[in-house]
Amino acid sequence: MKIIDSRGKRCPIPIIECAQAMCELVPGESIELLSDDPATLPDLLAWGRMTNNFVEAQGPETFHITKK
Amino acid sequence: MVRVTGNFVKESPLHPKAQAALAAAFDAGWADPKKLSQVATRANRMRAEAIESLAQLLSLRIDEIEVLGEPLLGHYLSIAGFATGASTNIFYGATSRSEIIATARSFTPHEIAVGLKGDIQISPSTQSGIFALQIANGETGVIAQSQQIVDAYPNALIACDATTTPDISLLPNRWDSAHFDSQSWAGPAGIAILGIRNSKLWKNPFPHIGIKRVPQSYSLPLLLSSVVALEAWRNQSELRQLNQSLRARIAKEVHDCDIAGDLDESLPSIASFSFLYCHGEELVRALALRGFDVDSGSACTSDDLAPSHVLAAMGVLTHGNIRITLHDGSTQDDIDALATAIIESVAQLRAQR
Repeated sequence: MKIIDSRGKRCPIPIIECAQAMCELVPGESIELLSDDPATLPDLLAWGRMTNNFVEAQGPETFHITKK
Repeated sequence: MVRVTGNFVKESPLHPKAQAALAAAFDAGWADPKKLSQVATRANRMRAEAIESLAQLLSLRIDEIEVLGEPLLGHYLSIAGFATGASTNIFYGATSRSEIIATARSFTPHEIAVGLKGDIQISPSTQSGIFALQIANGETGVIAQSQQIVDAYPNALIACDATTTPDISLLPNRWDSAHFDSQSWAGPAGIAILGIRNSKLWKNPFPHIGIKRVPQSYSLPLLLSSVVALEAWRNQSELRQLNQSLRARIAKEVHDCDIAGDLDESLPSIASFSFLYCHGEELVRALALRGFDVDSGSACTSDDLAPSHVLAAMGVLTHGNIRITLHDGSTQDDIDALATAIIESVAQLRAQR
């Protein structure tokens, strides 16, 4: 699974890097996003709702995203 | 520098009548109304007339009214005045103002989640305590289901945060304190009105000597000007159509845009848009370059770099956010020009990423 390390980057960069990585996936595949920006969790959840992707927080700085 | 052609930030210039009244009030109302001199007597009379007008305009009894010179203080006073100790339950919606949340946390807080539309997820309770009820949210304009909430908490005292609008029709039929902010009716900053309906249970929570319920350190000229502005304030229902046209055009012409709340359940003057993959501060600056001033709730525009807790609680995108406040006098031409500027700015910023 591909890991995107966006730690140290502020909104909306982690979401943009996540979205770019997702373009290379086929449905069912996942990536792991690392981010320490406090806006990432709420924004990832909103992004998942808007783009119909599945987002799961696995820790305060670790997010698992699956392409639907 | 680009000339600002559109003011869509929360603050607005004083209503012209309030501005004129302010100058006159500084001329005639500078004395201390509590003293016995002739000028003091005149100031006292002006103060009494102002309080009478406030009572009429906000449907308060004169003895319920306290004037505050620091509006943010009212958030604490309206709640803490009813608290009996650290174990007092304070219920509040997750989109409440941070001052309300901070006050609740100094007692026993009970945060209530909100839905995607900003509606409070009511969970009826017979617990006693205080419900800090935000009448309308200042970031999204979403109006609370006030009466349903009050009915669902029959044993809670109700402390209304009415600082975003003086529209008293939005208050529930039962409340114990209500806090208004002069700026919400285009009055001067630095004046708030605290209505204390349940004076038997409300006690001044600050250390004090004597019978004063609140600090009396407000400016009389500002109060007089504020009352004139409130007299001139009218329900802003005519802004609803403009707001609707702005929302409709942005929704139609910009993809990946989150609009916070439904206009049907919101104040007509506020619209909040969040654009995916946009940087909030860059968007605010891009619009300023085109002559439009707007607010933002994105983390990159806040002092502490934290995202808007209001948008986060609703589940709305917090980055790329702009908040539009329509004011009396906004026209369809203004809105059309603003919409065009937003559409072009978002496209430009997204193309750069």
